[in-house]
Order: sequence, then structure tokens, then C-alpha cells
Amino acid sequence: MKLPLPTRKSKDTDANANGNGNGNGANGTSPEGPSKAERRAAVKTAAVHHSAEGGATAAGWVDQRVNGTGIYTAMLTRKVPKGTNWFYTLGSATMFIFAMQAITGVFLSMYYTPSATQAYASITHMTNDVFMGEFVRGMHKWGGSLMIILIFLHMARTFFFGAYKYPRELNWVIGVVLVVLTMVMGLTGYLLPFDQRSFWATIVANNITASGPVVGPYLADFLRAGPDFSATTLSRFYALHMLLVPGLMGGLIAAHLFLVIKLGTTAPPWVKAARPKGARPTEFVPAGVPAPEAQGSPATNGAVSEGAVSNGASPEAPAAEPAADTVDVPEASDPDGEVNA
Amino acid sequence: MSDQQNNLPESDETNGPRVPLPEAQPRGYFEGESVTRRNAFMVSSQVLAGVAGAAVVLPTIAFALAPVFTPHEERWEAVGTVNDFTADTYRPIVFTETLGIGEVGKTTAYVRKGSTDFEGESADEFVAISTRCAHLGCPVRYVQAAGNFICPCHGGVYDFEGKRIGGPPPRPLDRFQTRVQDGKVEIGPRFSVTNQLKAVRVRDPGEFTGGIWEFLYPPRPSTPPPPS
Repeated sequence: MKLPLPTRKSKDTDANANGNGNGNGANGTSPEGPSKAERRAAVKTAAVHHSAEGGATAAGWVDQRVNGTGIYTAMLTRKVPKGTNWFYTLGSATMFIFAMQAITGVFLSMYYTPSATQAYASITHMTNDVFMGEFVRGMHKWGGSLMIILIFLHMARTFFFGAYKYPRELNWVIGVVLVVLTMVMGLTGYLLPFDQRSFWATIVANNITASGPVVGPYLADFLRAGPDFSATTLSRFYALHMLLVPGLMGGLIAAHLFLVIKLGTTAPPWVKAARPKGARPTEFVPAGVPAPEAQGSPATNGAVSEGAVSNGASPEAPAAEPAADTVDVPEASDPDGEVNA
Repeated sequence: MSDQQNNLPESDETNGPRVPLPEAQPRGYFEGESVTRRNAFMVSSQVLAGVAGAAVVLPTIAFALAPVFTPHEERWEAVGTVNDFTADTYRPIVFTETLGIGEVGKTTAYVRKGSTDFEGESADEFVAISTRCAHLGCPVRYVQAAGNFICPCHGGVYDFEGKRIGGPPPRPLDRFQTRVQDGKVEIGPRFSVTNQLKAVRVRDPGEFTGGIWEFLYPPRPSTPPPPS
């Protein structure tokens, strides 16, 4: 049952019929099967199927109003260059981890109390007593390290493949802001368990912030909500970690994706550029970019993954550190722990 | 272009002489106005939207920045009697520096009696040295055998007076103001010192003090003034 709504389908089918009837000389209706033009028309017809059925199905009704098929096509069936390989999935992988962090984070906040006196107890409660608490918290904890590793690998792929060049410079800039915000997430989230390691790591990180000339002292005061670690420091970090920074990141990821879809992706540097039909073949000049296997990962990646492993906890059991304490501190500490934000 | 215009007939039989149409103008336009009605409304609605946005955003930013400009509350806490302390060694004292955050609001100071052996000290005052390392804020420990303060994190070493003698710290250990009331020693606000042990407003760890550093690491309005 079709409603007489104007759709693109009628136009397409008309064109198809005309093509058959007139026996368009250029395309040529061959006796053995449908012509190229006919097949193209058939594909087109199938693509607009949902919108054509707009009045009949609920999906079609929505589709006709928001052009969901168009969005689906743009995102998942768009054309990608020859040579696209597994390295191109690093961005999606990072985004998947972001989504995982968002989901697990929302549910962790149901059990967490952002207060200096209660945070540690609420963390031990959710880890030890709540069903699946250990697992959900473990996902969030290890997901944080994983996201930092993946975002740097994604950045390395973009860099070594030259994908930051015109016209994608703005997307590189957005990506760099996202890297910084991911690090801010790591820093602000690190305090929340409020155990010895996270408390002292935050003290050190804050003092590193303060040691920047001129603006550093004020920036540290802003982060801490005062000249010393105080009652509102933890809630400030919590608000930054779960509201402000993720909100910014969500918006920037949307812009990042929009530009990826609008501009398309680049071919790997070792793939010969397509030349227009009929053009004379030119000598292929390699771009001189090493193959990804030879690139290795930047030093930062090594440091981050090493730090993640040396945390000494399994994914099932997030580290059982003693509660944050300024008086009863170990005589010697692991310097790695201080900067492992 | 002008050729084409010249080629046009001046007039033709049916329509009479060719008269150029008046220039198209928006409705309500009158001769000589500098701002069109459309522009005036567009600019004023954008200004209004800007004012409405600022009315929300500016107070919120001020709200978040307030602690940077709010003076920290001054606390004094009695930590023992005058006779509890000697001039030749330190006694660790745990006291509350920040209220309302439980264990992490406490801090440790090493307290001793003043000694005329050291420049600028008198025998009837008390010296309270903070355990907060001047490098990045880890808690230092006084090691009696060496007579030094040693930081566990990155190897900062300070002498008996708290002056840096090794490692990465940029300045001597911070101190706390002390006073004696009714025979009891009281510990007050924290202050930083220069390499010559001159009192300055408290700085965060990692910041240098004295000379040009006072401008590169400006004193913050949230901190109490140093003792005179």
C-alpha cells in the first residue's frame, strides 16, 4: 500500500523504463542480460526502497523524515580507497572504548560517593560486595589505559600515512584536542578511587601543573579549588571527569566523524594514486614512507603500556591499595607510581 | 559589456523608449539610510543572544574560579607544651591542616625549639618544618642518623634547617608559623622560604622562590600572607 507521496523512486523507475523502451544507443541493451544502466537503476531503486515505502512501515516512516538510509550509507557503505587495511580501524576502536568508558562510567557512578571521607569505602564496597562490581570497575580501569594506547596508535597511523595533510588538517587539530582531553580524563579519573596511589599521584600531578610559570600556580588553584587539597577537590575532579570533559569529547568526536565522512579517508602511501581514464600512465614515485610494520610505536606508547602492566593488578581485581593517608606513608615509594596517571 | 549595451536598440515600436528598472531594494527601504531594517534586527537579535549567553556563562565561570581568589581560612592548633621540644632534634607532630576531608586533611610537621646557632633564630621561638617536599609534594622524613630530611619519591635531600643539599627540589622545605599561648606551642599557617630562609607567601611544590622567581611564580590571593 503506497501513499501518493513524492519520492525519488518514481523518477528512477521512469528513467529505467525509458532506458529499456528507447534502447538508448550509448548504453546498448545487450540481448544476453540487463545493461549496465539497468543494473545501476535497479541498485538505486533498492537503495531508496525504505523511503519509498514511507507510508507503509514504521522504519520507512522514520527514514523518510530523517533520511536514515542516507546516514547509514554515508557511514557504513561509503567508498574507501584501495589499500584500506586494519590500521584504519584504530579510530573506531578508540571510539568503541570511549563508548565503553561512558557506559561503565555511568553505572559506576550509581555506587560511587565523591567525598574525601567516603570515596574509598564506596569503591571497596562496589568492588567487593556488588554483583559484577569488580568486572565493571575493571573494564573502566583497564579501558582507560587501553584508550590512551589506542588513541596514540591511531594518531601514529594518521601521521605515518600522511592523512593529516590537506584537506584534513582541521581533523588532525580536533584529534589532538581529543588526545589532550583523553589525558585529562586519565588524570581526573585517577584520583577517584582515593587510595594511596591515586591520592599521591594527584598531589604530584597538581604540583607539576603548579610549576608552570605565571599561570601554573593559578591553574593548580583552579584544579584543587584552593591552595591545598581540600573538601571540594575530589568533587571537582569528579565533575570534570564525568560531565565536563566527556561532554566536550562527545561533541568533538561527532565533529571528527563528520569530517571523516565529508572528506573521506586517504589511501596508504604505498598505493598508486588512481589516474583518470585515458590519461597517459606516469611513472610511479614511491612516497618514501616506511611500511607500518617497520614504524614501531612511539616511545610514549611503550611507556603507557608498561605502566599499565606494572600496576600489578589483574583485570578482575582492581588494585587493593590502602586508603589515602598523608601520615602513614611508606618509607620508600615506587617512583613509577607517582607519575602513572 | 559596454559594446553589448550600445548595440541594444534605443527604443522599439511596441514598447516605447527603454527605461531602466529601479534598483531592487528590500521592503521599507528609503533613500539614504545607512542601516537596513533587516540588518538592524539581525545585529540586535545577535547582541541579545550574546547577552543572554553571557548572563549564563560568566557567573558559572566565576563560580568555578572563585576558590582561586578566596583566602584560605587560617587555623591554629596546639601541638604540645613548651617543654615537649628541644633545640637539637625534631619531633614529628601530626595535625589537621584542612578540615572536612578526614585522614588526608592531616599533615606532619617536624618541630624543634629555636637555636641561636642558626642565623635569625632565637631560643624562645619554635621552628616547624613541613614534610611536604619542595619538589613535587611527597612526604619527606627526618632521618636522625644523618640529620637530614629525605624524600622517598625522587631523592630530594635537605639539611637540618630544611635547606636543599641534594636532589631535584627547587627551594628549602616549607615551614609553619608558630606561637606560644599559655605555655602551649601552636602551629599556624604554612609559608615558604627563599634559599636564605626569608619568609615568603606559600608556594606550591616545584616552584622556585626569591629574586625573579617571585614574578614567574606569583603569590596567589588564596594564600595567607607570610609572617613578617
